[in-house]
Amino acid sequence: MTNIKPNSSSHKSDPNRRQVLAGSAAVAAIGAFGLPVGAQTTAAPAASGAFASLGVPHVRRDGAEKARGGAKFAAEYSYPGMVYGALVYSTIARGTITSLETAEAEAAPGVVLVMTHENAPRLERPEPFYSSPTGMAGSSTPVMQDAEVLWNGQPVAVVLASTQEEADHAATLINVAYEEADAVTSFDVAAESAQTSFYAGRDLLIEEGDAEAALADAEVSVDLSFNTPAHNHNQIEPHAVTVLWKDGILRMHDCSQGVDLSAITIAKVFGISSAEVHLSAEYVGGGFGGKTVWQYHILAAAASQLADRPVRMSLTREGVFRICGARAPTRQRVALGSDRKGRLTSLIHTGTTMKIENNSMTEPFFEQSEHMYRADNMHLEIRAGTMDMLANTFMRAPGAATGTFTLEVALDELAERLAIDPIELRVRNEPDVNPTTGREHSQRASVDAYREGARRFGWVPRSGQRQGYREGEWQVGTGMAAAYYPYKRFPGGAARITLDREGGALIETAAADMGMGTTTATAAVASERLGIPYDAIEVRHGDNTLPGALIAAASQQTAAIGASLTAAHEVLLAELASLVPATSPLHGLPAAELGTAEGALYSLADPHQRIPLIDLVAWSESGTVSAEGQGGPISEWTQDWSMHSTGAVFTEVRVNSVTGEIRVPHITAIYDCGKILNSKLAESQFRGGIIMALGMTLMEGASFDERNGRVMNPSFGSYYMPTHLDVPHIDVGWTDIPDPQAPTGARGIGEIGMSGPAAAISNAIYDATGKRARDLPIRLDALM
Amino acid sequence: MTIEINNRPYDLPDDARISLLDFMRERLEFFGSKKGCNQGACGACTVLVDGERILSCLALAAQYDGRSVTTIEGVANGDELHPLQALFVEHEGMQCGYCTPGQIMSGIALKSELERGAPSNVSSDLTVAPRLSRDEIKERLSGNLCRCGAHNGIIDAVAAYVGGEEQ
Amino acid sequence: MSYISPTKIDEALEVLSRGSGKIIAGGTDVYPSAQLGQHPDFYMDVTRIDGLKRISVSKDIVHFGSAVTWTDIINADLGSAFDALKATAREVGSVQIQNAATLAGNVCNASPAADGVPPLLALDASVELASRAQGSRLLPLAEFITGVRSTVLRRDEMVVGLQVPVPPSTMTSAFEKLGSRRYLVISICMTAVNLVLDQDNRITDARIAVGACSAVAQRLPALEASVIGQRPADVEIKPEFLAPLTPINDVRGAAAYRYDVVQEQCRRAIMQAASR
Repeated sequence: MTNIKPNSSSHKSDPNRRQVLAGSAAVAAIGAFGLPVGAQTTAAPAASGAFASLGVPHVRRDGAEKARGGAKFAAEYSYPGMVYGALVYSTIARGTITSLETAEAEAAPGVVLVMTHENAPRLERPEPFYSSPTGMAGSSTPVMQDAEVLWNGQPVAVVLASTQEEADHAATLINVAYEEADAVTSFDVAAESAQTSFYAGRDLLIEEGDAEAALADAEVSVDLSFNTPAHNHNQIEPHAVTVLWKDGILRMHDCSQGVDLSAITIAKVFGISSAEVHLSAEYVGGGFGGKTVWQYHILAAAASQLADRPVRMSLTREGVFRICGARAPTRQRVALGSDRKGRLTSLIHTGTTMKIENNSMTEPFFEQSEHMYRADNMHLEIRAGTMDMLANTFMRAPGAATGTFTLEVALDELAERLAIDPIELRVRNEPDVNPTTGREHSQRASVDAYREGARRFGWVPRSGQRQGYREGEWQVGTGMAAAYYPYKRFPGGAARITLDREGGALIETAAADMGMGTTTATAAVASERLGIPYDAIEVRHGDNTLPGALIAAASQQTAAIGASLTAAHEVLLAELASLVPATSPLHGLPAAELGTAEGALYSLADPHQRIPLIDLVAWSESGTVSAEGQGGPISEWTQDWSMHSTGAVFTEVRVNSVTGEIRVPHITAIYDCGKILNSKLAESQFRGGIIMALGMTLMEGASFDERNGRVMNPSFGSYYMPTHLDVPHIDVGWTDIPDPQAPTGARGIGEIGMSGPAAAISNAIYDATGKRARDLPIRLDALM
Repeated sequence: MTIEINNRPYDLPDDARISLLDFMRERLEFFGSKKGCNQGACGACTVLVDGERILSCLALAAQYDGRSVTTIEGVANGDELHPLQALFVEHEGMQCGYCTPGQIMSGIALKSELERGAPSNVSSDLTVAPRLSRDEIKERLSGNLCRCGAHNGIIDAVAAYVGGEEQ
Repeated sequence: MSYISPTKIDEALEVLSRGSGKIIAGGTDVYPSAQLGQHPDFYMDVTRIDGLKRISVSKDIVHFGSAVTWTDIINADLGSAFDALKATAREVGSVQIQNAATLAGNVCNASPAADGVPPLLALDASVELASRAQGSRLLPLAEFITGVRSTVLRRDEMVVGLQVPVPPSTMTSAFEKLGSRRYLVISICMTAVNLVLDQDNRITDARIAVGACSAVAQRLPALEASVIGQRPADVEIKPEFLAPLTPINDVRGAAAYRYDVVQEQCRRAIMQAASR
């Protein structure tokens, strides 16, 4: 047996290699794979090389403003007469408010309003996700409309005062009495009555063949149980909103991941039209699925209306834990059966999670198991128990974050029993077409990602024996796992392109940028599409008065923007065609026979025939040429193709044999996500997911008091996340093969990083110690 | 009762409950220092007081009577970014940008701490000047949390700033 | 609600005699420990009181004023007996916190996981208290802290400083801390060891204290007694030596695990102190 040397050249941090990657990952990766340069996308002809922007590692457009401290977040807008909000939270899980003593608070210095269910304006219930195409709320629980309490932490009073200190103080003077009712606050209890659940319009049950019988008959099998706790997004920016009612408009500076949907959802609560809500979020201090509509928005707006004062409502960190939902806990079973050659005959991935009565979000943890491997018989099922708790919600890579952990640990265990290398086992079960839908893959190079990852990491193939070794009191091991995340594109995308007299273009779209680099990527896509220099493109985003109803979620926003820009460009070509003078050879050509490149309109048939865009703009009546387009049907992934991103994650783990401390000094991850639009931003997105997954694996978890449903660690001092010292340099790469069915060739990169590391670390821990860790987080004492 | 912020004097608030962070953000509209946790666990509110970094959320404004505070708004030279600010942009040491001011203020303080030879808890020997390893930099920046996962870029930026080398 | 920043001790004691306030030094625990929106009648800042920011060394006593910060300790030129305290200083929160937070504040907060307490116990530290009504008194640290977040400090009384008897010049020390992440972590357990070795490399004096494994950090007298006369490498840490500890099961670790780790920490800290 050959030991892997911990600092062998293959996985030592090498700044030079990183430079190469950042600069020209596309070429390097494809070259290394020995693959042909990927297929063309279905997009219109791309602009010529001079203005090529896709794949260029532009620095982020908002970088300097953020580094300066000049980027303004939701709680950083001020209005004359503005007052500050503070919330009082219920201390019971379920019951009725029997009395509210507010007089002392109302008399306290600076207080302008105390709002409770007794004086709050009448409001509609918010529309939660999946209840309508625009639902953006975490739950449909009524917002301060009656005396009923539905979770421990529910706001029962709002105080507005001249300063935050006065509001916080007055909030402590409010006395609330309750009559408690029986509540389900234990996951164990809820699990007993769990029912097969549903998600995104379908039942969470897939059965093909007889998986249990196949498992029983399998030549080799594993049957394993896993537990994962609740996880909080913990964006460093706590949720906040600044609200002003003026001239019939509800103005909100928010931290939303989807400004238009937030505005529509809030408008409906207040019974006004969405045109009467102006909601913007230029900068959002982290989202990860949690910056949606929660009660604080509505309470701030209602209190502002009642007091007739602008309001700033910044949640405390504890407040975020109490009223903004998080990832639900899960209990999962993964059972795999195979023949002796490792061909899967049975794949069972079932389990239980929780939801509340007023939401429709069931953590879909079997999704990767539908799409990753071929198996003759399958049983995938998720049951949900109903709890009297804060609504659970989406958090980075919903489903796949924990579902990949369990599936990929199970594969590792199966590989060991089969004495087959874990990569080889995955290769043997690589599906030709989608295993559950039967659709063809739009593009899939999972095996290339596995192999390239193995090469870069220095993976030593194994057949049933651990490769771990000891170095002093440290046990060292390596592990790998596959990564998975689906391609999606939501409807509602739209963009407007406006050409100016100077040869530049303004792109407007109601997209959100929580730090992913949306504006930077959008400018690159637009530059490429329009044939206008990157630096001459301005992007406006994060405002519901702009076109579109986009949401930065499910790693699909870039695809939605790309499709919108393609559509807007087609409209633009028609507008430009109408401006072509009769004397030009281009006159009379339909839009479909025209293109834009190098700052000019040209004939596709005869590219030498061209008119500078600035001339066309100058000839227009208004002095600008503007066109708006909508993203179009989303059938590429809903009906036509199997579109999924995959990848491979490799880790080296060191476990202290005396204390159980776990260190992760090396991570290599290679992704097959379609085209990478900006290598610099993409590296950071992948690493971001990997680091959040590292936290999930080793330290994260919200604890609840099962007697009363109260979160017990609502702070950064008690809910641990990785610090700099916990994070190694992370080597990331990609196949960079454009997906011919995705609007920009890119399938999305925001979440896949979250999938894979937990299993790769757990598998490496096994390699190091011989102990399997199947519960998250992996506590130090679990390995002793 | 006055306090100097970015070289300009300001009267301290009458209300003694006000933290230095809230004083700067809510009274003076210096929004560059961020409020992430308001309990000393994230570092987003890091400022320099007479050159030393502290957490402005854990400080009452009144405690800093007569002292000189530097915030993220005070480190650039007009339009020209401070070298570490420029390195954060170049190395993609940020995503959402909310922890960024604190990371940069910590990075600036870290350099002077290293130059003074102040040991950290990864320094193997208390008596020898610390080496500029990545671990040393990581340790000294670990009081600044990032949730987006820009850690590698942040450390790259600070390493370039202090002249640190790979391990 | 007011803020008072006296410059003389007498003035400070007079303020305390008047009503119910909170003494602050670095102020780093005001917000985390206070219920949001609830404040005392006044805050009294002791950092501007003459002499309280000083570390002074006399023939018998090393005196740490109650406004001495962790960074002051890191930067101070103290003997090797204080290496454990210095190591602790670099583990208290972040550098930002070390620059403001004080040793005395850490002791007064009396958290079971207060990093400063084990090394101070191992240094035989005493707490110097003063009040207008009763003058000053000196209490061993172990008597000062009575339980979780509880001390014998009276409402009108303040901690003026901490006193450590000047240790033998040959005394060395070490500190071990374990947490579930690598920084900014509440200890699962921590151990401070102070040792004197003779020329034959045998232990002639040992003080061993463990934190986060009981309501108040504890010295381990039986272990200390057993190591006398032994060479560090031969030290055996029997379970019965850990009798003063009462670790609990919590999300950070099981009690049995804490027992195991403490034994290992003691062994490591002894070896580390012996190597200095």
